Amino acid sequence: MCAVPSTTTDEAAASAAAASGPRTGSPARWRTLRRRLLRGATPYLLIGPSLVVIAAVMAYPMGFLANLSLQDYGLRELIAHQGVFVGAANYARLVADPLFWQVVGRSIVFTAVTVALSMAAGTLLALLMERVSGPVRLLLSAGLMFVWATPVVVAIDVWQWMFDYEFGIANWALTRLHLGDFVHHNWFETPTQGFGIIVALVVWGALPFLVITLYAGLMQVPRELIEAARSDGATAWQVFWQVTAPILRPIFAILLSLSTIWDFQVFNQVWIMLNARPSATYYVMGVYSYVEAFRVTQYGRGAAVSIVLVVILMSVTFFYVRQMARSGGLD
Amino acid sequence: MNPRQLARAAVALVFGIVAVACSGGASSSTTTSEPNSLTVWLMNGSAPQSIVDGVNADFKAKHPNVTVNVQIQQWSDVTTKLDTAFAGSSPPDVVELGNTLVAKYAAAGALSNLTSRKGSFENSSSWLQSLTDSCTFGGKLYCVPYYAGSRAVVYRKDMFDKAGVKPPTTMDEWMQAGQTLMDANKSDAGFSALYYPGKYWYAALPFVWDNGGDIAAQSGGQWKGSLDTTQSQQGLTTLATMVGKLSRADKTGDEAKQDQAFIQGHIAMLIANGWEIGVITDPKTGDPSLKDKLGVFPIPSRTAGKTAPVFLGGSDLGIAAKSKAPNLSQEWIGMLEGNKWQTQMATVGMVIPNSTTLLSLNDGQPLVGTFANAAKNSRFVPNSPNWANVESANVIPDMLVSIFTGKATVAAASKSASDQITSILNSKS
Repeated sequence: MCAVPSTTTDEAAASAAAASGPRTGSPARWRTLRRRLLRGATPYLLIGPSLVVIAAVMAYPMGFLANLSLQDYGLRELIAHQGVFVGAANYARLVADPLFWQVVGRSIVFTAVTVALSMAAGTLLALLMERVSGPVRLLLSAGLMFVWATPVVVAIDVWQWMFDYEFGIANWALTRLHLGDFVHHNWFETPTQGFGIIVALVVWGALPFLVITLYAGLMQVPRELIEAARSDGATAWQVFWQVTAPILRPIFAILLSLSTIWDFQVFNQVWIMLNARPSATYYVMGVYSYVEAFRVTQYGRGAAVSIVLVVILMSVTFFYVRQMARSGGLD
Repeated sequence: MNPRQLARAAVALVFGIVAVACSGGASSSTTTSEPNSLTVWLMNGSAPQSIVDGVNADFKAKHPNVTVNVQIQQWSDVTTKLDTAFAGSSPPDVVELGNTLVAKYAAAGALSNLTSRKGSFENSSSWLQSLTDSCTFGGKLYCVPYYAGSRAVVYRKDMFDKAGVKPPTTMDEWMQAGQTLMDANKSDAGFSALYYPGKYWYAALPFVWDNGGDIAAQSGGQWKGSLDTTQSQQGLTTLATMVGKLSRADKTGDEAKQDQAFIQGHIAMLIANGWEIGVITDPKTGDPSLKDKLGVFPIPSRTAGKTAPVFLGGSDLGIAAKSKAPNLSQEWIGMLEGNKWQTQMATVGMVIPNSTTLLSLNDGQPLVGTFANAAKNSRFVPNSPNWANVESANVIPDMLVSIFTGKATVAAASKSASDQITSILNSKS
């Protein structure tokens, strides 16, 4: 809707330029110029609408956020709709805060572990799907679809119940299986165990997309290549690393960068799992930003954390996109 | 319904929708004269529905053309909701605010200054002092006291009788009674003599105050956290010992579900608000058969013959500074805070009413009376606009969790919490 006026504006500009043309040269010269102008403008006319939409949806809020991060913006300013410009003070404060560096470190470790586990599990499941018989494959994909169809908040609530202190089935089952005394075991007392559950939950939620995408990719690997490798005496391990993996490389790169982005900005899984009151040992970037902005009502500081998050994610994405372009994945 | 009627109904419906759609734009320009609706935000568990309905009926009788829209909010996410609402152009007209939150919103300019209207409220000269204090910021009145609540220990008389213990009168007796109860219920692996969820910071304050400690003190305009003083630490150590020996509650959990847990029958004592008795004995949310088995005693002091000071919780009623109906808001608040409905709040809602003239209402009640008495020896959190941020940052609950789970010693945890409180209270709001 927003895009339509801009297209007409661009066209109007082009025809305005065209109309002012004839004064400068002969009609024949003008015709070639006009043709050249139109040909040059076409790509921009085509890309214009989407650029306008992207600007409205992405650039404007980002600019607003960046602007907010340079202001002292608390509750009083929120109500008055007027912040106080403080330059880089919010960033200076962040850099000097040891809690912030802990949060960054925790987020990086969390993302690394989660991405590695979800990629590994996703690849294994995709390979499994390729090998099993039709009905089993159907069951497997139906199961994945159910996971995918479960709304995130509902899924987190279910997991929270499973690992509940008082009534959780995990504690009950582990005790019944004689794996130790798990009556009144608190999974979230120590952050390592707590994050273990959260990582498992995030990996579980990520699997459907990863498996189905990788399975689709595996379908594209030419059968004859694999058969040729096998007849040359390659082991399953070698076939995967030397034949399958290189062909899937662009897909891996995309999934890896998407997973990194998703896992680095994880919020719901931590926030809801810990009843919207996580202790500082559970802060990851997304949670920290939210706490600073909406719990401590310092929106400027929260915005600064978000900007740092965006910059980190952009550099990660840039790295992968460049890798992909170099490896010829982007044609 | 025949086809012609149906068609007429459809036409009427369309007109109705158009009318409603148009009134949205029209009303905002004409509200200056006589607003036709009033939005009220009350907190979950504050006034029983019968009282809300009663106040609305009284209001309707005086203003038949005004629709009162009462919305119930949850405590857990209310600050975020209030922030957003106050920032918008049409916030709720009347808001119930926890008494620890008022300073934050008053300082930010979200609430109307009611100083000049104070005299028009019934009982304004006999309002509970500590609630009036929570409404006062910079010498001006920003809200109206609504009700107060204080905590005491709710216990199962049958379990006490079976174990042969009596309600304790000192901290030592309390600990011994708890230990006897634990021994008497050895066979029950889920039994708690005193159920104490780790994040329950309101219940930790009496221990700190009883030992002469405090959360923070102000001198020369600067705040200084004082949870790390010897006195405060002594109180926290007593609490930690007690929780370690007597409680099997989740050390990282909060008190939100403690009444549900109490009903299960594996808990002998609970530190609770007066209104929680209602939740425990309610046929829907609780177990009415517990009614005759419940007793209440005040939180004991380490000094015999005294009780520990308790946190005076409560709520106030404010009017949004951006409200388009300040006069109607004032009238609605006036009804809820006046004698007629405050009497109901005390007898039906089982809370402490907002006026000293109504305090004796609960005297005849053996259970609720104890809570009202406990309120006489009560304390409050630091009255600073930044206090709400200390609460939002979970400083005290996090400290308690670290202590109870053994992640940090009392000394280390209280030092770090105290430093954090100093820093938050002194930061520019």
